[in-house]
Amino acid sequence: MRNLKVLFLFIFSALCLNLSAEDFEYKVIAKDLSHPWGIAMIDDNNILFTELSGQLRRIKDGTLEKESISGVPEVLFAGQGGLSGIILDPDFNENNKIYIAFSSPDEGKSTNTLEVISAILDSNSLKNITTIFKASPSRRTAAHYGARMAFLDDGTLLITSGDGFNYREQAQDLDNHFGKVIRINTDGSIPSDNPYTGQDGALPEIYSYGHRNLQGIVVANGFIYENEHGPMGGDELNIVEPAKNYGWPAITYGKDYSGAMISPFTQKEGMEQPVKYWIPSIAPSGMTFYDKDLFSNWKGNLFISALVPGDVRRLVISDSKLIKEETLFSDLGRIRDIVTSPNGTLVIATDGPSGKLIRVQPK
Amino acid sequence: MLKNSLYLIISILIATVLVVLQTTLSNLIWLSSIDMPVSIGLVLNTFFADLIGMNLGGAIPLVGLMAVGLLIAYGVTRILLIWIDTRKSYAYALAGAAAILAIVLLMPLAFYNLDLIAGARTALGKTILILCGLLSGYYFGSRIENKE
Repeated sequence: MRNLKVLFLFIFSALCLNLSAEDFEYKVIAKDLSHPWGIAMIDDNNILFTELSGQLRRIKDGTLEKESISGVPEVLFAGQGGLSGIILDPDFNENNKIYIAFSSPDEGKSTNTLEVISAILDSNSLKNITTIFKASPSRRTAAHYGARMAFLDDGTLLITSGDGFNYREQAQDLDNHFGKVIRINTDGSIPSDNPYTGQDGALPEIYSYGHRNLQGIVVANGFIYENEHGPMGGDELNIVEPAKNYGWPAITYGKDYSGAMISPFTQKEGMEQPVKYWIPSIAPSGMTFYDKDLFSNWKGNLFISALVPGDVRRLVISDSKLIKEETLFSDLGRIRDIVTSPNGTLVIATDGPSGKLIRVQPK
Repeated sequence: MLKNSLYLIISILIATVLVVLQTTLSNLIWLSSIDMPVSIGLVLNTFFADLIGMNLGGAIPLVGLMAVGLLIAYGVTRILLIWIDTRKSYAYALAGAAAILAIVLLMPLAFYNLDLIAGARTALGKTILILCGLLSGYYFGSRIENKE
């Protein structure tokens, strides 16, 4: 009788597991891409994406256009730098406006910085290019740019700005852009209700601080979700709120690449704890909130692409708490970005010099 | 020969321990400056954790890095001393300093200007690390001098 109960429980669990899983298959949209980094969906078959090496490219009616889009500014393609984040204006269908984040070399100097431009996509070229944000001060390093963007519901733009690796302590200071989430208007002006507007010694475009290398940001259900690379261990998923300090490098669950402790502290009053941290590191990259019905079991979940060892994490979050984590798509290698297509399929960019764009669709 | 090897090993260990100490202290001094509760006990615990971490848990074992740098520098110095008449303690002190100078300058070149030894990110930090090399080299040179 006892054995029968165990058997029944086993079959019931297996059925439940199967119900929560989704049957999917991969469809390669484009291949032989040079370090694809950021994806922006115009619609299901029209996609803009950046290649870190400096090209802005387009999938038109499901086919990769051979010519890249012209007019893209010069980028510093070195280390982790290059043409990075891309996002469409909320009114893109009317104004054809896009925003691109990239590492920008300082003219005549050996320094560079994170820059964000707005531009009008006119046929196959960018027009009316305007710099709307430039991180200050510049850095000598070619790492930890952040360079992801998201729109808040009020139409203001959030930009992630990484700590530049060598400048980690400055993530705790408000007089610079290292390790910050930035909030600006789309013309580059600063919203008057930003948390540090009018505060002496603080840059008014700062929204939150104490971050490291922020590689994913999405706005969904009234929350701002942000993921960031820790050093060795300590990658984080945070819920960003204005004027909050996320602790880096004063508190961290990671260690330095040299093996040294960056800080012996993991928490402190006044510094936020992550919703989730990963040890060892998964090197989170892009992130999307799935709000479609095509994969009904995934609705309302957060998907984070990861570079190490290379997969996607599906996170079920309720009341700012992580309920469940599932590893998906672990057979594709390093994954640089993930977005949700309007039709409910997921589109993934694999990392590297011969990267791919892959659609995850129902079988 | 055996004694010289022992002096070499001790010299490498001196450099390693001093570099770890500089890393630990530079991190904790900054943490203390932003009102994190840094106590003597925490300094000791962190130092020993760093001693293990930087030699067994990092991307490159620090003791190996020091060994390679100092071996090359001491080797070159030994050859130069055939022609140059100077005190060995001074010559090897300079060699130790040069070894760490080379490490802190060359490593960032290989990693897009990233300073993997956190304590080497500032000019002051680099200077202190070079002094660590100077001390370990001085120890090695003075031991050899005494032996002769």
